Amino acid sequence: MRLSRIGYTTQEAMNADVFLVGSGQTRFGEWWDKSLPALIEEAVSAAITDAGITALDIDAIVIGNMIGQQISGQGQLGAMTSALLPHRPPALRVEAACASGSVAVHTACALLESKRAETVLVVGAEKMTDAENTAIASALMGAGDSERDAPAGLTFPGIFGLIASRYMHDYGLTREELSLVSSRHHEHAKANPYAQFRSSVSPESVSSSAPVADPLRLLDCSPISDGAAAIILSRTRKSPLRLAASQLATDALSLAERPTITSFAATRDAFCRACEEAEIDRKEIAHLELHDCFSIAALINLEDMQFADPGQGIGIYRDGLQEMSVNLSGGLKGCGHPVGATGVKQIRDLAKQLKASKQRFGAAHNFGGAGATCCVHILEHACEP
Amino acid sequence: MERGTISAVTTVRHPPAGFPDEPRIIGLITLDGGSSVIGRIAGISPRIGDRVVPRMSMERVNEQKLRAYDVVYEVAAPAALQEDPFVFEGYILALTGPSGVGKSTVSKVLSSALSGIVTRVPILTTREPKDGDDGEYLYVTREEFIRLEDAGALAASTRIPSVSEDRRYGYRTEDICKIWNEGRVPLVVTEMHLLQGLARSFGRRSILSCGLLPPGTSRRAMLSQLLHRLRTRGRDSEQSIADRVRNASSDLDFFSHRKELFDHLLVNDDIDAVIATLKGHVLRTQEDTR
Repeated sequence: MRLSRIGYTTQEAMNADVFLVGSGQTRFGEWWDKSLPALIEEAVSAAITDAGITALDIDAIVIGNMIGQQISGQGQLGAMTSALLPHRPPALRVEAACASGSVAVHTACALLESKRAETVLVVGAEKMTDAENTAIASALMGAGDSERDAPAGLTFPGIFGLIASRYMHDYGLTREELSLVSSRHHEHAKANPYAQFRSSVSPESVSSSAPVADPLRLLDCSPISDGAAAIILSRTRKSPLRLAASQLATDALSLAERPTITSFAATRDAFCRACEEAEIDRKEIAHLELHDCFSIAALINLEDMQFADPGQGIGIYRDGLQEMSVNLSGGLKGCGHPVGATGVKQIRDLAKQLKASKQRFGAAHNFGGAGATCCVHILEHACEP
Repeated sequence: MERGTISAVTTVRHPPAGFPDEPRIIGLITLDGGSSVIGRIAGISPRIGDRVVPRMSMERVNEQKLRAYDVVYEVAAPAALQEDPFVFEGYILALTGPSGVGKSTVSKVLSSALSGIVTRVPILTTREPKDGDDGEYLYVTREEFIRLEDAGALAASTRIPSVSEDRRYGYRTEDICKIWNEGRVPLVVTEMHLLQGLARSFGRRSILSCGLLPPGTSRRAMLSQLLHRLRTRGRDSEQSIADRVRNASSDLDFFSHRKELFDHLLVNDDIDAVIATLKGHVLRTQEDTR
């Protein structure tokens, strides 16, 4: 048996076919009239309808959420979501900052592969907009290192400001080049009815938006959003869409503990192992949804997944020559980033993209914090069911 | 409290609750001992590469009027470089590798093979002169070294971890600039801290960075090869060899962790082949930059 470098044996990692049988979501945005439970209920019923099953077919629920406890005063999201269904299936909540959604999917895979469940409902949900900015900022800083990062007065945009400053210094990336990233993601979001922002944003307006954490500006940052997404995974109900890989990797929480801050080891590990698990070459991926919480992260991610050489990620936005689509949904910047929901929503978007393009493979890359947790899923579409 | 060098810096425009409501400059600082820390930087528009000195500062007063003190870093000397770090003054040829891989030999042979192009940059060191040294070192006292470092006169410096002594090495900015002014290419031998220091001071793109690896297909084989070379060259005591092999292990990790810091990786199994390859890289770069 071949051992992967860390963690699971690769041969055992996906030892059952896990099919994606349905999905649903709320539009991401500012939902002042919807509470966290209301958002969850909307996404769950949309997913059940889409899957063409009844609620009673669901054996277990995994929900990803980061700050429900601090912002909505609501813990126990597993039990709360389970109570939405008539038969109250077993349910649990997982947390991995912005990667909570994809880690929920990863957990659901484990339940299916171990034959604990046949059909699992995976939900990602976050309610962020009706709290004060300082409360949100401090809750999000929970993704950093409370002893090494926070005491100096650092915020999450500040962490990525540090990363961007180093990246620009090392590779000579200019402010004008970086602005292409958000502008492109907004352009893609125009076609997505579930996106928070569906208007064009020029690179010039990104460059001239208010500074947040130099060199990053307001329009480099993904927004504060409300939203929920749900998918239904099953090993007994067949579908043309199958999860070919689910890989989870971690790294030191604090930037001060890393050998470099312009590349994320967790992305490199998770993506590389996911390709091995799915037995594909990265070139076979037709659609990629990557974690662009800040514009600079999109470039680093492309480099860490080896779609570009170090320092050359911007080439993909400047030249737009690649065959693979990147964040066709609009990404975190265009769609909005209700943190726990993003990782689930990415898989739903890939499913839509693969069906529309009749391509075979799509990859979802979702990380938490500054890449301290990274989860990568590869979705395979059997074009001829 | 250790001094250090800024390796990344940002201005947080909206600091978290409890901190003064004004832009807050925060840096990732590489301390001289090699570890990193995140702290507030006191100074006007600090830049990557600036030297910083720690001091205590009252950072905030909470609602109960308790005063919270923290370490802040004050800019001691701005990075010694031109206004725009991306103006290309020239480039530096850097040879990086673990102790015993043959950096000095390669550097010596290469500088005579390319005598019309490259000049070796003298290495500032606090260690005692030894028999095997051949004019590549400038010997200074520890006090003088620290004075130069704090005055911002060093483009890069490092302290080699050792149980027996406190050895420091560095390169002076003026030595490198002088070689550029003569229209020649400065040649430096470095390890991980010196290479990162040079990349901080002059920008990564100003360095033609070549890594030298010992022969061997496994990590263990590489380390035993280094041990063999260190013993046969007879320059070091057993104690110093033990230190060097310990450091070599982290130097080998550096090649894989910081791939982006290297343009070329070469295995030093045949000196003539290595010299020929390096010569090719330099001549090609000479043509590209002309």
